[in-house]
Amino acid sequence: MSEPKQPDIAKPAAAARPPARGAKRDSLGWREQWRAYGRSHKASLFDSLGRLRAQPISTLLTCLVMGIALSLPMGMGLLLDSLEKLGGSWQRAAQISVFLELRLPEQQSAELHTRISGLAHVADAQLISREQALAEFQAQSGLGEALKELPENPLPALIVVTPQEVERAALEALLSELQALPGVEQAQLDLGWVERLAAMLQLGQRFVFGIALLLIAGLLLVVGNTIRLSIEGRRQEIEVIKLVGGTDGYVRRPFLYIGVLYGVGAGVISWALLALGLSWLNDAVVRLAGLYQSDFQLIGVPLEEGFLLLLGAILLGYCGAWLAVGRHLSELEAQVQ
Amino acid sequence: MIRFEQVGKRYPNGHTGLVDVSFRVHRGEMVFVTGHSGAGKSTLLKLILALEKPNAGKVLLAGQDVGEITHAQTPFLRRQIGVVFQNHRLLPDRSVFANVALPLQILGMTNEQMTKRVHAALDKVGLLRKEKCLPQDLSTGEQQRVGIARAVVHKPALLLADEPTGNLDPRLASEIMGLFEDFHRAGTTVLVASHDLALIARMRHRLLTLQRGRIIADGESG
Repeated sequence: MSEPKQPDIAKPAAAARPPARGAKRDSLGWREQWRAYGRSHKASLFDSLGRLRAQPISTLLTCLVMGIALSLPMGMGLLLDSLEKLGGSWQRAAQISVFLELRLPEQQSAELHTRISGLAHVADAQLISREQALAEFQAQSGLGEALKELPENPLPALIVVTPQEVERAALEALLSELQALPGVEQAQLDLGWVERLAAMLQLGQRFVFGIALLLIAGLLLVVGNTIRLSIEGRRQEIEVIKLVGGTDGYVRRPFLYIGVLYGVGAGVISWALLALGLSWLNDAVVRLAGLYQSDFQLIGVPLEEGFLLLLGAILLGYCGAWLAVGRHLSELEAQVQ
Repeated sequence: MIRFEQVGKRYPNGHTGLVDVSFRVHRGEMVFVTGHSGAGKSTLLKLILALEKPNAGKVLLAGQDVGEITHAQTPFLRRQIGVVFQNHRLLPDRSVFANVALPLQILGMTNEQMTKRVHAALDKVGLLRKEKCLPQDLSTGEQQRVGIARAVVHKPALLLADEPTGNLDPRLASEIMGLFEDFHRAGTTVLVASHDLALIARMRHRLLTLQRGRIIADGESG
């Protein structure tokens, strides 16, 4: 049998795949292959954009659901960040109470006060004499008359030290330095409330983290389900594409792009919601803080966090789409055969 | 081009598709496969397309063992083949042009290349003027011709057709078969599964007759 001239099938058959895998299959240059691959991607992207634009309402709703669900943990996280900064500034008010020996003469107390004031890491030191301490205690405890019955003043003199450093290690060092001074009975670092705040913030962070995990799982399902419906609607198309030589990657691509586009929409919506919401809340916060003589305000959405949010949303959309396509592709495969 | 070596195919439900089938189709040949429904025509086509794998024997396409190729290689095998289905399987939401362009899109062709090829294919089946129509606006015969244009637009070495004239009246059927003969004359290997014996007899090409999964005759039709 004669062999008539064949159309050259090798060229088109090998294009539109990454060169790394197709290099030995054909004679096409890798440059042209990459170009074909890029064109194929571009076509998928525009195809996906077109499909989303064809159903603006459902697209918007999906993006809104994702965006709102993302705003919740992100917003709480940002609020906690603000609170943490507030905690940091309060820590500056950390004080060390230095109780002097009961029998220490006033003269020496005054000398000790001068000495402590001169220490390197001390910002301020205030001496409270035994009489002042007693008067304060009488006034605050409500035991005024009863205390007067005591034969002598039971309270020691006190030097309240405001440290320059607020780091834990520096504070501990200063504490032991003060403790070692002659005439000092006991030095006490008053950090309890700072630690309580830190513990509460930690609890809050854990809570936000848990909510974020739940919402992320929910979002994956939302995207997955939306993509699943879109796959159902294009079943016939997928079958034909597979029959005319479309790779799994080619079939997957438009759906992954749809997922990514949902992510972009959700990220932008979420960013906008947070920026608006936090600035709206901030007005009230600033007013409240003003009443406490504080210039505290919410930090809003920093650019970095905003981009992280956008990136996270895109990744979520992508993963959700991947999950849906992966599962349904193998299902379809079985049906085509 | 196609080589079956003692191919057996049995389906999990016990149905026998093919039994000990051996034949060769040379490059550029035009072959009809005929037989009653259930004789194994569809199974034969599915084996060539790697939609099914044989339980016994070997199916070779251009020297490549179709039964052995991996899932990832399958698309590249199918790109060497053009397929025409009985119910044409056009996508209803895409224009004639887009339907025909699909195999080229998969290859990532530029728009200019694509337009040129699609126009050439549509011209060959005489539907160049209908490129903007949707499949539903066309007659059954026209739809089938669009299906053929899609099957040949990427210039496959092998053209397969599964009952391409099943839904057509005799005049249209003969027109469609004429198209396959044109592609055969242009050098494409053509394999057509059909039970339209009257039509096949007039065409004088090689004819494989299947019965209950076996080849019972191999010779020139008519």
